[in-house]
Amino acid sequence: MFEQLLEDIAQTNALREVNTSLKLAAGLGALLLSLVSTGYVAPLFIAIVVSGAILLLARIDPYTYGELFVAPVSFALLSVAAIVLISGGSDALWSWQPLPWLSFSITIESINQGLFIFCRTLGGMSALLFIALTTPMTDLFVVMRQCRLPEVLVELVTIVYRTIFILLDQLVQCYHAQVMRLGYSTRRESIRSLATLCGVVFIASWNAGEDLIRARDLRCYDGKLVVLGAVRPVELRPALAVAGFLIVSSILVVLTGKITIISGIP
Amino acid sequence: MHIMEGFLPAIWCVVWWLIALPCLGLGLFQLKRILATDREALALLGVTGAFIFILSSLKLPSVTGSCSHPTGTGLSAISFGPWITAVVAAVVLLFQSLFLAHGGLSTMGANIVSMGIVGPLVGYAIYRALRNTQVNMFLTVFLVCAFADLLTYVTTSLELALAYPAAVGGVASSFVVFMGIFAVTQIPLAIVEGVILALVFKYIVQMKPDILVRLHIFPEEKIVATQRGLADAA
Repeated sequence: MFEQLLEDIAQTNALREVNTSLKLAAGLGALLLSLVSTGYVAPLFIAIVVSGAILLLARIDPYTYGELFVAPVSFALLSVAAIVLISGGSDALWSWQPLPWLSFSITIESINQGLFIFCRTLGGMSALLFIALTTPMTDLFVVMRQCRLPEVLVELVTIVYRTIFILLDQLVQCYHAQVMRLGYSTRRESIRSLATLCGVVFIASWNAGEDLIRARDLRCYDGKLVVLGAVRPVELRPALAVAGFLIVSSILVVLTGKITIISGIP
Repeated sequence: MHIMEGFLPAIWCVVWWLIALPCLGLGLFQLKRILATDREALALLGVTGAFIFILSSLKLPSVTGSCSHPTGTGLSAISFGPWITAVVAAVVLLFQSLFLAHGGLSTMGANIVSMGIVGPLVGYAIYRALRNTQVNMFLTVFLVCAFADLLTYVTTSLELALAYPAAVGGVASSFVVFMGIFAVTQIPLAIVEGVILALVFKYIVQMKPDILVRLHIFPEEKIVATQRGLADAA
């Protein structure tokens, strides 16, 4: 019922001690490059390299990594299928027009576009997962402050972060207690149980929030919780690897922008 | 399910971010003003954000095999208004993309517009329209949450349709196709979310009504009358 939080994995991954800005540069760089690419080669290359880095360098369990792709990929396949059917083109392989304003067709162009969007999603998702799996949120708070984001926003983010873990504990406890008492045996019962669960957690969260602010007030809290970030200097080899990866990806984006998967009717 | 990373073309990512940013600015401005007068509100808001996060990591029992989940923004829109809800939703979306791999960073602008702005705005409008009328509180909460959820997905379909218009019929027929895909899971889901949040609300009225009075969510007389009704029914 509850997905494992990527945060737990990020806290123990093998790239934990690498400089945060360097990891962010690699992740955000890959994300942007795969976004601006106009061909499928560069995003696919990015997806493969970044996944390799996640599995081999950060030593994330391959099964866990694969599972993370299931939901987004199934949603992407559904939407890509719709795009292939409606986007049209000149070389129609199949077409059907049920209504005057609605026409479905499969063409060379639409297949190419569908595959391209799918590859871009893979590239983007792996870059996002790279950041999520290697950089714990606690390190990102420090970067957010350095980027001069509004203080209120950073404060809100830290409090939401803290509360999520408090709530998750309570939620899991209550949920197990409900399951033990057959709370989810029928559909009607499970809707009722879920509503009670949400209600209990809502009130518990309210109390937890009040306790939190009281505890902070006692420690002279004035709306800014200062956290010292760990000092991790940028090392030469990882920096060169990231730079090399970004340069090769940029070249691929420029050179392979016009390459398509299927070029004409065989 | 939010639009995932890499699915929207770069230009549309920029467009949706540009639409989302002024709303977030307005929300932050309101947030600062509230915090200047009532510092406890920060904890309260953090808790609301965490609650929305937890809600959206719950899979509803009625829909199997779907990535659909409640958005939970309806309750926040009622409590804090639509603009602050946009800020809270943005924070939640950040956590969802980094904690659960739901949504993405480049597509976050689009997701903020659908989940944090349009859905809550519609929900808030319904709430304001019904707040001081004779309409039952639970019905109000049900309508707010169901429509906030439904409109979130209508907006998502529109975002997808604008980015990928159909060759025949353009954006309109593409919109119909994407709506068709979502409607299968979203209409029952919105109803279930409305029912669940209305039940949550009933629980709050019974257990901790002072929250509702303190935030001026509903007139006090209405809450007292409803409490009496619940006690009589029991």
